[in-house]
Amino acid sequence: MSALIKLEKVGKTYFRGKEPIEVLKDLDLEMPEGAFEALMGPSGSGKSTLLNLIAGLDSVTSGTISVSGVNLGAMSEGQRAHWRSQNVGFIFQTYNLLPVLTAAENVELPLLLAPLSSAERKTRSLTALRAVGLEERGHHRPDQLSGGQQQRVAIARAIVTDPKIIVADEPTGDLDRVSANQILELLVKMNKELKKTIVMVTHDPAAAERASIVRHLDKGQLT
Amino acid sequence: MNLASIAIKNTRRNIFRTVLTVVGVAVAMLAFLLLRTVLSAWLVGAEYAAKDRIATRHKVTFVMWLPKHYAEDVKQIPGVGAVTYMNWFGAHLPGKESQFFANLATDPKTFLDVYDEISLPADQKQNWLEDRRGAIVGAVLARQFGWKVGDKVTLEGSIYPGMWEFNIDGIYSATRKSIDQSSFYFNWEYMNELAPGPAKEKIGWISSKVPNPSEAGRVSKAIDKLFDPRDIQTLSMSERAMNTSFLGMMSTLLTAMQIVSLVILLIMMLILGNTIAMGVRERTHEYGVLRAIGFLPKHLTAFVLGEATVLGLAGGLLGLALGVPLINQGVGRFMEENFTGFFPYFRVADKDAIISVVLSIVLALIAAAVPAYQVSRLNVINALRKVG
Repeated sequence: MSALIKLEKVGKTYFRGKEPIEVLKDLDLEMPEGAFEALMGPSGSGKSTLLNLIAGLDSVTSGTISVSGVNLGAMSEGQRAHWRSQNVGFIFQTYNLLPVLTAAENVELPLLLAPLSSAERKTRSLTALRAVGLEERGHHRPDQLSGGQQQRVAIARAIVTDPKIIVADEPTGDLDRVSANQILELLVKMNKELKKTIVMVTHDPAAAERASIVRHLDKGQLT
Repeated sequence: MNLASIAIKNTRRNIFRTVLTVVGVAVAMLAFLLLRTVLSAWLVGAEYAAKDRIATRHKVTFVMWLPKHYAEDVKQIPGVGAVTYMNWFGAHLPGKESQFFANLATDPKTFLDVYDEISLPADQKQNWLEDRRGAIVGAVLARQFGWKVGDKVTLEGSIYPGMWEFNIDGIYSATRKSIDQSSFYFNWEYMNELAPGPAKEKIGWISSKVPNPSEAGRVSKAIDKLFDPRDIQTLSMSERAMNTSFLGMMSTLLTAMQIVSLVILLIMMLILGNTIAMGVRERTHEYGVLRAIGFLPKHLTAFVLGEATVLGLAGGLLGLALGVPLINQGVGRFMEENFTGFFPYFRVADKDAIISVVLSIVLALIAAAVPAYQVSRLNVINALRKVG
């Protein structure tokens, strides 16, 4: 498989006041297209920072990061936002659905940025909800759904724009084991059936087991 | 679903807070509308003043008289149509000094020619023309005191001392707002007959009809020029200018009311600004999520401004919905019946209604400007880290 995500000598430094904090150091990494990768490591190891860089949420301090041959470092903030809307789906630990919108509207949200008619947006939202098994719950608001169901809605929102990459930051961190397993099975399904490249940060070894590749970070370097 | 519908839905997050904010804005707008209506009602006489009438008064002040024969002289000036004259009588019902209403002495024959917006049944008009002690009263005033045609009314004079008896010969209405319906007009000859020596053959001001309003400026100058060489000079101006200059005496009070209006608007802005800022602070994490999935700073700004617009519009419309009936049916009726001389027409003007709603939106947008700017400057990573 060819590399979809390629990091070369990537470094990321934050500043706490005037004190530099080097979170990632000269990181070289290739993630193949269609992979399901798990990033593990202790708190502060840099895995969330790495995820943010891959997702185009943050910019590197040194080195280059490219996705499908596109150098993210060369993009402006606005260009990266546009790129994210087309290429990246996000799954967060706390679901992060908008409480005032229904499940279907939450899924439809990223499509507002695409040049689609209202009917097309609704059709795609319904398709995504069907893919996660929640087509009957589209009219429910998040507070009327269980945690596992909310995370499935979040997955539907992540795939509705048909992105190449899905980034998941502790997607099972707030769920019980049964719900967590359902979410992980869904991610595996997205990876195998929809050919999505998934990069997942997790502390949970059981979750990492579902990934095809597991990488460990410590102190900003792969181990 | 679109950005606007999301902005509307965002106002439902904390219904209690939203309701309190909307009610706060509505109350502020109601108070603003009431003050604006007071100002408008005060100025209504000037605003609706006829464009084709010129008022001529003593050059020094309103309260100094002109010789009556000046009215005849004015009539000779080219461009002048009908001419009448009036005196401010300043009387009141015996023992009821506080119940103010305008009472003026005039020449009935010429008065009805100059003030042709007065509508008076033909038989009542004929009675007034023939009755030396006759008076006509506006419909609002007649309703206030329960006067009917044929009643006898006694007024106690102050400028012209004594007890004056009048016959109510007619009750007029107005076809335009350029004359109020709460005045009392009576025959000048009656007043002149009983007036003390220095006040005899004296008039307060002259009112002239100018058939071609575009000539009003030239005619005014011609009138004043005519009297320039005489002992008593005049000052002529449009009826509107005259009414406005009269109102000028109240300028301090009007200015104070305008300042109060501005303070009310400022309070409204603070209420809205606080609500919007709280909402933005609580939703920082959510804005981070929206930025992550591709929304741009301009979209987040639109969310904040859209929400502010919804709150401002809801508050403005609620203020209007409460204010119009309260003012028109409640306060307005009370003012028209009890302070008819000052407020002959106390209703919410369309212009003020529109201004109040537009202002509630504009001020909401101004109040939301700082939170909207802060949202547009959010760092995605920091916003995503922020909890609650």
